[in-house]
Amino acid sequence: MDKQGRGLSETVWTRLDRKAGAITELTVRQLRHRMSTWVVLGVGTLLILMLLAFYVDAVRDGFEPIDNDGDSEDWDGDGYPLGQERKYGTDDWDPMQYPGSGYYVRDGEVHWSDQNRTHSGNQTWIDATGIFSPIWIDEDFQYNRWDDVDFSDLDDCTQNGEFGVDWWISWGDACQQSNGDIALMSVNFRGEGTLRVLEEYYSEWGHFTDQYYVEPEPASNYIDEDDIDWDGNILSSSQGFDDDGDCLRVDWIELDFWFEEDDSNRNGIPCDVVWIIGSDGETIIDIRADENVDEDPDDEKLSGESIHRVFIIAVGKIAFIMILSIFLPLFLALGLVRDETENGTLHYLLSKPIHRGEFIVYRILGYLLIAGSFVLLMSFLMGIFTSLLGPGDSIIRFRDILIWLAIGLTTVLALTAYGAVFNTLGLVSPKYGVYIALIIGVWEFMMAVLTLIGGGSTTIQYASSLSISHWSLQLVDSLVLIIWPDTLTMHLMAEAFNLDTGLDVIWSPPAHTLETGNPYVSAIISVVILSLITTLMIFLAQSVFKRREIM
Amino acid sequence: MTSKSTPTVVIDHCSKWYGNVIGINDVSLAIDGGVTGILGPNGAGKSTLFKLLMGRLKPSGGSVRLFGIDPWESTSPYRRVGYVSETEKLYDWMTGHDFVSTLARLHGMTREEASARAEHVLEFVGLSDVQHKEIGKYSKGMRQRIKIAHALVHDPDLIILDEPLHGCDPIARTSIMSVIRDLGAQGKTVLVSSHILDEIERITEQIVILHNGRLLALGNLHAIRDLLDKHPHRILIKTEKPRELASSFIIEDPVYGVRFSGEGALEILTNDLSAAHSILPRVIVNSGVKINSIENPDDNLESLLKYLVGGDN
Repeated sequence: MDKQGRGLSETVWTRLDRKAGAITELTVRQLRHRMSTWVVLGVGTLLILMLLAFYVDAVRDGFEPIDNDGDSEDWDGDGYPLGQERKYGTDDWDPMQYPGSGYYVRDGEVHWSDQNRTHSGNQTWIDATGIFSPIWIDEDFQYNRWDDVDFSDLDDCTQNGEFGVDWWISWGDACQQSNGDIALMSVNFRGEGTLRVLEEYYSEWGHFTDQYYVEPEPASNYIDEDDIDWDGNILSSSQGFDDDGDCLRVDWIELDFWFEEDDSNRNGIPCDVVWIIGSDGETIIDIRADENVDEDPDDEKLSGESIHRVFIIAVGKIAFIMILSIFLPLFLALGLVRDETENGTLHYLLSKPIHRGEFIVYRILGYLLIAGSFVLLMSFLMGIFTSLLGPGDSIIRFRDILIWLAIGLTTVLALTAYGAVFNTLGLVSPKYGVYIALIIGVWEFMMAVLTLIGGGSTTIQYASSLSISHWSLQLVDSLVLIIWPDTLTMHLMAEAFNLDTGLDVIWSPPAHTLETGNPYVSAIISVVILSLITTLMIFLAQSVFKRREIM
Repeated sequence: MTSKSTPTVVIDHCSKWYGNVIGINDVSLAIDGGVTGILGPNGAGKSTLFKLLMGRLKPSGGSVRLFGIDPWESTSPYRRVGYVSETEKLYDWMTGHDFVSTLARLHGMTREEASARAEHVLEFVGLSDVQHKEIGKYSKGMRQRIKIAHALVHDPDLIILDEPLHGCDPIARTSIMSVIRDLGAQGKTVLVSSHILDEIERITEQIVILHNGRLLALGNLHAIRDLLDKHPHRILIKTEKPRELASSFIIEDPVYGVRFSGEGALEILTNDLSAAHSILPRVIVNSGVKINSIENPDDNLESLLKYLVGGDN
């Protein structure tokens, strides 16, 4: 284009662009020449690298399968894990009871009020209380771990008179009378003879089934054994099955007492999971599981993914939103216009045909260029690492990059809002602005913590909404749900099956959806509010600066 | 563009108070074309006047117009104004060329235009050879000149210079003065402030004298000066032989007395400074006495002010 042509194309806008470019560039160069800029960016980089190192370390360890319901433990040390003992109905607190150890079957009893109080035979006697005349006693028998009467070395009964009338022994104890009979007080034993039960006491007898050998299962059988049965494409609301049988108790042997199959979700089907679908027919909005169903899912599939997401969301929220987006502007934005006034260098800039209001906008633009590109660079770095190292079969997790982009952009929005606030403070009160800014920083941090721990509580969410950090965190929550819609399901699974993934702590469904549950609604609301705060603050700074006399 | 009837700078009954302190008190002025020296001691209101012109301050009373526009309300006059403020601070980390071209871009110039214009004005103020050095390494005189360069980069019609010679060495002073005179010769309106009469005298004849915020005198320096000349004046001559010289002077008409004010110094007392100066060369040549220096100790702003305000200040 020739010289004249260029002259014609030169509109007011291109001139404005050039002014904006010049001030923005000057601001960037000024910030680059300041030590504090490099210190704060350096500290920020260190923080991110440190978190990245933690992540890489965690990934190298791999996502170890976790025994979410604890049934791989062998609490009584009998060599059988809790899950296997549950299947056979044996007590995992009693090493005497284990799968194949045989179980007791009752043959008869003497009630406290029965007339006939004597029984003879070769039996296993339970809760025997009275006088036993033995023919033979099994000195090695032990019914449970708490039995400690040693029949090979009984104490002599020393008292005179009649047992149960004139004298007593302590509960669970026994002694031998001079005639060879044994006085018993609620003792379990095996032997042949005659038992005379004390008046108003109870005793019973029976026999043990045969012992047989059951191969102890390895503990690993009880880790990830009850995977979540939801296939992500359900029509029926009742899904989920008690894969390991510990709710239905399918292999239960000790059937002599009554129990109810668990139906705590009250849908009439024991041991299932109810998935409640939202009005859109797709989104799961609640999960109600019966006890012990789907409680130990495949960690590689669910917990690994959840923990990976927890890491990303936690770093995004805490490191990016709560730390970087508050500290960067505190160091970089407070003096954007104030310092220039104090130095006297403002005269050079203001003697040019530039409105003071414009000047503020371009200064903030310059600050954003430094702080924003730093944050985007850091989030990109995190994105590259987590998308390559995260769980899953694909080589690169593309959505991770999207999430980090969302976190980066949200942080830029927060940086803009804080930058506008702090710059205005520096302008309105050059002397005390920094102190007010610090107080605001603390307030914002507190509100962020409140927003984080508030989770689904509407009261807390509304109370903390008087802050930039609240809306930034809400925006992250919304964008997470948009990019990873199944985060909601994971969050509900963690809640419903008591999974210790941390997802329910660090992420909650966005609060401000105007009752629609739609993350796009809350994302738009958050963006609008953050932009409003920024605009309002810039407007305030402009009107203060426009009427200010500069000495 | 300004209509011909509107002078470049119009100050109409303008006052500025800082609380109870008066900066400018009811000053009216119209300036158009050529170099005008704004003369006044420190605190006279020179910088206040300039800051009012540059829209930094809002007048407490009266009005200020640049090219017919109120500079407090609109920045549009700045397109045609170059301002050298009294501030000493500069972006020390920038090179001279950087500084001038960056600020040129604030006038809407492209990077290339700005760079070319910067080079041009840097040559004009005599900083071509150091334009790629950091400003932090500049001497005082260079710093003043870089400030002037930034004010000239957009070829303004009005140039306002607040104490541009302040703190400069004699060589820098001379070069800045010649720059200012050149600008005046180009037909631009130049306002330059100083508290040193001698400086202004070497730049321009058209002066405005401010004192305690008031406009004290306005017009041609020589006319003002002539008034002063009719007042008792001293001329201090340093020479090896003051007595011989004294006898040659005492017989001359404008001289009413001589005084020996120390070793090798002769004071000539006169009521007509111009006349005394006109005979000075002849008397000295005729006497054949060697002269070390000639000074006019009363020919300064203080004496002028003293005279103008009636000797009581």
